[in-house]
Amino acid sequence: MLPVAHVGHYLWVFYVIPILIVVGAIVRNAIAQRRLARDESGESSTARGGEFTKRD
Amino acid sequence: MTLPVAHALASRQDLPIPAWLFAWAASIVLIVSFFALSAAWRKPQFEDEHRRPLGERFSAALLSLPVQVLCGAIGVFLLGVAVYAGLRGTEAPDRNFALTFIFVTCWLGFPFFSAFLGNLFRPFNPWRAVGRAAGGAFASIAGQRPAHLAYPERLGRWPAAVGLLAFVWIEVVYGRTSIVSVDIEPHAVAIAALVYSVYTLAMMAVFGVEKWCDRGEAFSVYFGMFGRLGIFGARDGRLYRRRPFSAATDWAVVPGSAAVVIASIAATSFDGAQDGAFKDAIEKTFEWFIDRGVGLTTGLRLTDTIFMLLTFAAVGGVYMLGVRGMRTVPGAPSFKQLRTGFAHTLIPIALAYLVAHYFSFFVFQEQAQFGYLLSDPLGTGHTDLFGTVSNEVDYKLLSANAIWYVQVAALVIGHVIGLMLAHDRALVYWPDYRKATASQYWMLAVMVAFTCFGLYLLSVANG
Repeated sequence: MLPVAHVGHYLWVFYVIPILIVVGAIVRNAIAQRRLARDESGESSTARGGEFTKRD
Repeated sequence: MTLPVAHALASRQDLPIPAWLFAWAASIVLIVSFFALSAAWRKPQFEDEHRRPLGERFSAALLSLPVQVLCGAIGVFLLGVAVYAGLRGTEAPDRNFALTFIFVTCWLGFPFFSAFLGNLFRPFNPWRAVGRAAGGAFASIAGQRPAHLAYPERLGRWPAAVGLLAFVWIEVVYGRTSIVSVDIEPHAVAIAALVYSVYTLAMMAVFGVEKWCDRGEAFSVYFGMFGRLGIFGARDGRLYRRRPFSAATDWAVVPGSAAVVIASIAATSFDGAQDGAFKDAIEKTFEWFIDRGVGLTTGLRLTDTIFMLLTFAAVGGVYMLGVRGMRTVPGAPSFKQLRTGFAHTLIPIALAYLVAHYFSFFVFQEQAQFGYLLSDPLGTGHTDLFGTVSNEVDYKLLSANAIWYVQVAALVIGHVIGLMLAHDRALVYWPDYRKATASQYWMLAVMVAFTCFGLYLLSVANG
């Protein structure tokens, strides 16, 4: 059974939600940035590899 | 009636929406402010104070020696009255001048007014006045200025941070567990004031008056910190007007400054949470100590001390997480540099917490201060110096809803100013505004966390 009488003890959850949203957005953004940087470095190394192949 | 030192006075509100929705709204305001700053604020604005000197005669008059002596004498006199009232007056906390004067009028009044006008405590600092007078007397007798030891710079403002925590400990831990009354005894406050006076004067004799006021004297450092937000300052014998908040940017360069501002936020948080958010946890820990044979008073003091230190560690930990987050942005300075460089952004938050937690308490207790306490400082009922001894406190002056809206507004405005100062400082470390903005995502999280935590504490305390 839902302990309705004690629901007041869990009100702090509502105060944590905005913090979790902001921290989640930051972490998601950081991961996306890192992935983008990795992809860019991967593309540039492929391009360099291509140049070497041509010279060879 | 007892003096409710530990809490803001507020009764249950009748709010149109749940209290937690205010936390959501405040978070949205912070996020919108953050993106507005990122879009429109691309050059540092607070690194230069933009000083504009006030009139020469006006400055000379206010900074003249007779005015300095008068202000110092007023400070010494009022400290003397508070100590005398504590030693000789009634033990009823609400009827003794000492408690309200020290814990409300000075402790809350100087931060509130200094944050607008600049450091108001400095001219009235009783220990500085006595120290300067003693130094002057020594110089005239010995024919030379007193020699002092070099202050160990590594100590920085740590003595002030410890002093600040000790003062709050006396108020909210020792006072809560006193034997005679339910709040701190005026006699104990008077003894503490005397002990602190002897310690401060001794330190001033060793390290010099101005040096100790800038680094170790807890009240000078604490009130001076809020004074850095204000618009007036003094330098080279001249008063000047400056851009608001700009003097705060170089306040934290001294080691230990971050600890002072963190201690301020933690002290207010703990005071608000002691009988609210932390109540259950404190009771369980207290019972744990009692089960192991610890005495009642010792057990309560131990428990409260542990929770106070935990609050200090938690507030510091949230700030350090924000700083560590900033380190991940390319081109970031060292962790130490960031930790010091952004500490001043917490000053408006410390002020916001003070206003939110004590605003109503200050308004109510000042009626007592300038009413019956002024006319009957000892609280014996035998004197009526100004004919105001029968004045009572009007608790209907502020409604519970009005108090709540002031609390929410204070927290939101304080954190928006904190964000603004942090963004401004980020532009110094990362001249590319995109990197500066990226670094501030973490400070946004810190600000949202402090805002929601503050509102949660208030909602529990008020509920």
